[in-house]
Amino acid sequence: MNIYWRELKAHRWGVLFWSLGMVALVGAGMAKYGAYAAAGTSVTDMFAQVPKAVMVVFGLGGFDLTKASGFYGVLFLYIAVMAAIHASLLGSNLISKEERDRTSEFLYAKPISRARVLTPKLLAGLTMVLIFNLATSLSSIYFVAYFGKGESFNAEIWLLMAGLLFVQLIFFAIGALVASIVHKPKAAPSIATSVMFLTFLVYYVVNFDSSLEFLRWFSPFKYFDAVALLANGQLDLAYVALSVVIIVLCIFGTYRFYSARDLAV
Amino acid sequence: MNVYLRELRAYRRSTIIWAASLSGLVVVFMSLYPAFTNDLAAVKKVFDQFPQVLLTALNLSSTAFFTVNGFYGYLLTFAGLAAAIQAMNIGTGIISKEVSGKTADFLLSKPTTRSRVITAKLAAALTSIVISDVVFWAVSYAAALLVSKDPFDAATFFLMSLTLLLVQLMFVALGALFAVSLPKIKSVISVSLPTVFTFYIIGMIGDVLDNDSLRYISPFKFYNTTYIITNVRLDGTFLLIEAAFLAVAIAASYVIYVKKDVRASV
Repeated sequence: MNIYWRELKAHRWGVLFWSLGMVALVGAGMAKYGAYAAAGTSVTDMFAQVPKAVMVVFGLGGFDLTKASGFYGVLFLYIAVMAAIHASLLGSNLISKEERDRTSEFLYAKPISRARVLTPKLLAGLTMVLIFNLATSLSSIYFVAYFGKGESFNAEIWLLMAGLLFVQLIFFAIGALVASIVHKPKAAPSIATSVMFLTFLVYYVVNFDSSLEFLRWFSPFKYFDAVALLANGQLDLAYVALSVVIIVLCIFGTYRFYSARDLAV
Repeated sequence: MNVYLRELRAYRRSTIIWAASLSGLVVVFMSLYPAFTNDLAAVKKVFDQFPQVLLTALNLSSTAFFTVNGFYGYLLTFAGLAAAIQAMNIGTGIISKEVSGKTADFLLSKPTTRSRVITAKLAAALTSIVISDVVFWAVSYAAALLVSKDPFDAATFFLMSLTLLLVQLMFVALGALFAVSLPKIKSVISVSLPTVFTFYIIGMIGDVLDNDSLRYISPFKFYNTTYIITNVRLDGTFLLIEAAFLAVAIAASYVIYVKKDVRASV
């Protein structure tokens, strides 16, 4: 329990700034919709004529941009990227910081097992992921109502936020796993974020070229794609199952590798 | 000179990786160009009907977009983000790593002045960035030649490429300033990523609100690619602002670093 509170305290400013950043991102994004809706004519008709390739380059493929919900769907991708960056950094830092700051000798000389160090650390991370998600959800609901001119789609927002939570948890778990495996504690956050950006690039390429559809399994961004979520009104169970498997495997791997790890001192 | 060579070697891997990933990004993007311009005439007609606000929101403001140069300019907004992360990482890391790696007392007890240390370090950071940029430019140019059916203006192309370096310079300087003024930086990437993204989002907000004063705050918005395509030169006002910012930030870094109470390792 001490470790749990210690980690929360150590990361309190980080979580606060990230949450404020997300509020600003959502606010700015929906303000964009306000400006755009003000000028809006029958834009959908025009968009219908634009080839798919062009729409994808702008990240607009498959959204009804005359509605606030469609616009929010476009914004969701940026939200997901920011959330993924936060989660990757958080997961990898929580695990690697003791060795990086040379406090591992202090911590691991205490009469507790490594697994009992890891559990409160991961729980603290989970708490902060939830805080991040909650800040994003609440600001989304507020700003969409504010700029959306009466169009309400809170159910869809909660659905997207459930998807966001899975994305966060996946990258958090990957970050933790990376930190437990790599030997240089300082390299862990860079590797974790590189993995994240790579899966993002995969997402982009898959959207562009449907012949590369099979690559979609490699990108968590594709599991909870706003286009599909808004169209179906529910999470795809296959992807949810896959996410759970990834998360469980990564966490299991983290315990496994971390317990056997030769700590740098 | 020793410090300079030492740092170049220390950042060799990182430089190669960044050059490779930036080049990979441009190759992936450029390979999308042929599909993008398949039925060019039809697309152009549609875009001409778009309201101005929408074009601003999408960050493209002229039909020049459908040339290779225009497409490359759009790609540079993403490449610029990645390149800025590289720059901020190296600017912050190259100075803060002595303290976080507990090698500060080893280095600073050598018979050399602190300003010579920081000069060598900044020069190494600059070299590493220029190397990865040159690779990026060469790959971009080759990719553009491959995918473009029509000839395009090479001068415009290289001016646009140059903005990548100009943005990076500001982030190196900002990173150095952060490294000397923040009390203790434990993880470089946890400082650099949020900072770079904050400026990126400020730039985005400026676009939305059509607020020109925000343009002066975000380095990403200093050099508008549409402006370069139409005028084939960089915006002089922003070159001056950049020069002023670089001078102030680097001078401040020197002053602070020379006088700073550097934590010795225990």
